[in-house]
Amino acid sequence: MSHSLNEIEAQAKRAARGAGLPWGMAEEAARATRWLASHDLAGPALLADVLTQNDGVAHAQVAPAALDGVWRAPSGPLCPLAGGAALNDCADRLTANKSIEMADVSFPLLVLPFAAWAALHIKQPVRLTWQDVEIDTDGVGIWVRDPHSEINTDKTAMLICQKTETRQEPASRPGLRGTVASDIWARLDNFAKRTYAPATDASRLLGAGAGTSDND
Amino acid sequence: MKLQTETSQGVSKRAPEKVMRLSRLGSFHQSRLSFMRILTRRMTRENWTFSRPVFAFDEKGVGHAVYCAHTPDRTYSLIAFGHDLPADQRSDRVIAERWDSTFTLFDGVPDASDIARLEQNIPLQEAGRVTEKELSVSRANRSVRLWDHVVSHLAAGTQPDPEAIAKVGYLMRTTAVYGSGKLGAADREMIADRPECAAPFQIEMLSVFLTRTYVRDLVQHVADQKGGDKAVKLNADIARSMGIGNSTGLGMAPFLVNHPMLFNNWVAAREEAIATVRNLAIATSEEAAAFRDLLDRSIVSADLWHSAHPIQIDKLVQLRVDLTKLAAHVAQADLQAAQPWDRLFSWAESALGEDAQECLASLMLEPYGALVDHLADQMSDRDRHAFRIDGAMRVAELRAILERAYGWALDIDWAEKEQCARAWYVSAEKLEPRLGERFEEPIAAYEQPLAPGRDAAALYAALQDEDGAAPLATFLLAHPEHRHSVRRAQVVNRAPYAEIRDNTIGSDLLPIDMLRCKLSFFGATHFDPRSDRWVRICMFGNAPYPEELQAMKDDSWSYPPSARDLS
Repeated sequence: MSHSLNEIEAQAKRAARGAGLPWGMAEEAARATRWLASHDLAGPALLADVLTQNDGVAHAQVAPAALDGVWRAPSGPLCPLAGGAALNDCADRLTANKSIEMADVSFPLLVLPFAAWAALHIKQPVRLTWQDVEIDTDGVGIWVRDPHSEINTDKTAMLICQKTETRQEPASRPGLRGTVASDIWARLDNFAKRTYAPATDASRLLGAGAGTSDND
Repeated sequence: MKLQTETSQGVSKRAPEKVMRLSRLGSFHQSRLSFMRILTRRMTRENWTFSRPVFAFDEKGVGHAVYCAHTPDRTYSLIAFGHDLPADQRSDRVIAERWDSTFTLFDGVPDASDIARLEQNIPLQEAGRVTEKELSVSRANRSVRLWDHVVSHLAAGTQPDPEAIAKVGYLMRTTAVYGSGKLGAADREMIADRPECAAPFQIEMLSVFLTRTYVRDLVQHVADQKGGDKAVKLNADIARSMGIGNSTGLGMAPFLVNHPMLFNNWVAAREEAIATVRNLAIATSEEAAAFRDLLDRSIVSADLWHSAHPIQIDKLVQLRVDLTKLAAHVAQADLQAAQPWDRLFSWAESALGEDAQECLASLMLEPYGALVDHLADQMSDRDRHAFRIDGAMRVAELRAILERAYGWALDIDWAEKEQCARAWYVSAEKLEPRLGERFEEPIAAYEQPLAPGRDAAALYAALQDEDGAAPLATFLLAHPEHRHSVRRAQVVNRAPYAEIRDNTIGSDLLPIDMLRCKLSFFGATHFDPRSDRWVRICMFGNAPYPEELQAMKDDSWSYPPSARDLS
């Protein structure tokens, strides 16, 4: 179904929060999902996948153990949202011709929006590489090379982010709507529902503070 | 003399510590920079024209209408559906499922297939679905008493009683106006580049402006059907005195907290305007006269402002006393020489309550459209970089920001029950935002991030043992739970009016302060709280109708005609 990008972002934020992400992380996960959806990429589906995979797992288990060398989780796969947020936090490192490398990353496409924001910050395009996938972004547009359809892969042994040259050929530009299949929306909704307090008579009456008749 | 010149340039914007307290924000008044007035000025300046290609209703007001607003470049159409609503289903709450009228603002002119599609969806509101051709979705309920009063008078061939009208102020009140992508509608980004959408909420305001015309036409239609040959046309002055009501609960309050950069831009624009006027060395006699005229009309407006709520009754008593005091002071003050507005405002700060101070602040801008109206262009949020956390910032710098911007919160003992007695949450019922008692209801697990002060204090405490020279990236890796507050602190560092500098979860919180602040920027008047968290207001009261816009000499319509003009 066609959705507004605001709807996608709002739903993604509630879902990420419902899956246990702290609010600030949920906000960034939601922006990332919106960004990917605006490029007609599988942001909502991959978000549902990573939230499912890490449901109930502590952030420290799936975040980089340290921010030097190759970033990796203490054990098991690295969460692309935790890795992406740290990448954007450390964006200035990319200006010094240093790359940021992450090992055992799940759903690596979810790192792309964070790399895009890093590109906006350093005012230079960056390149994200995993398996045979190579995506350049200047923060807004993208150039995708994906000869073996690995863009939506659930795991990569290595992901590299580095600054790159400005491309001459036209970029793929973001749109202003997103398409989310109803089953994906429902999966996000199941996480989102965890953030809603069950309605009680007391909250129905007092919580919104109306209480009086509107027939006047 | 030199000293005086320097002083005259020296009044800066008021400090955020002063402006961003809830009691002051809850005392704001509409001004030249209110979104309704920005819209009516543009409609007049650009000679917008209006048409009503469809108006088809039965004797009960069931049917639909289309109202078109033609700008120089494009057309927007309000599609209005009238329904027959049983009284037991009339509720202003978000959890309502039926309404007297439902609306959408359509981008362009709808064809028959658009109308057919929207007829299936708009009456359902949240349970329906719209597309990027729709820019807003809204609904309204009748003020039953006034509706019946006006219909029966007009049908019987007499005009309604102006006092009965003044008591309510509107025939219908909207209970939600959704824009910005809600329910599948177009995102703001789709239209943000259009000049008429540059200022905030212009689409929503246009929708309400056209809704007011629809309501006037519908009440006439129903009266004509009822009275037949005996029915008379509603007097134009009485019609103009009526606005559109709005009934608003907590849903609006989180908006100010959730859009810190946007909120900053609203307040900063108004503060910039106030400082600009305070820095004027002199005022002309015309400017002083314009101010005096609108002060008179503000006094009329305060007299017409009714509320049954104890808090508002007290505020109104104080406001009326203060405005009388202000009028007496102005009558003998020299408003033309020696930085008159700064002298007047400084006097008001020592002599009047916050409500009258803010009323004066807005009034002082009125003679100076040429100096302040352009600030409307700065009220939207176009800063796409604000969301990014600067992970290279040092811990010590963030600490200093927190001390500057959240000093008030660092002094609070957040472990005390009364400081965190409330929690904001979202109910499973139609996702209605609610406010509950943290220690009495099982809601803490569902708490929304709407307590920036408490969260900033927790961040500050967590930073105490960190190395001041370390980058935030390292801290945030270990403490992702503080990303939200770090982002806010970095925003407020650049945008000093971004944050309410008060406790938003304390036992003495009055959410109506947040509602009034936001609604005053819309241009609302006559705030009438129904409880500490629910308010009714009036929009576009005394505004010109579409066919009257070109005759508008200035845009002071938000002040009712003075007692002199009425007599």
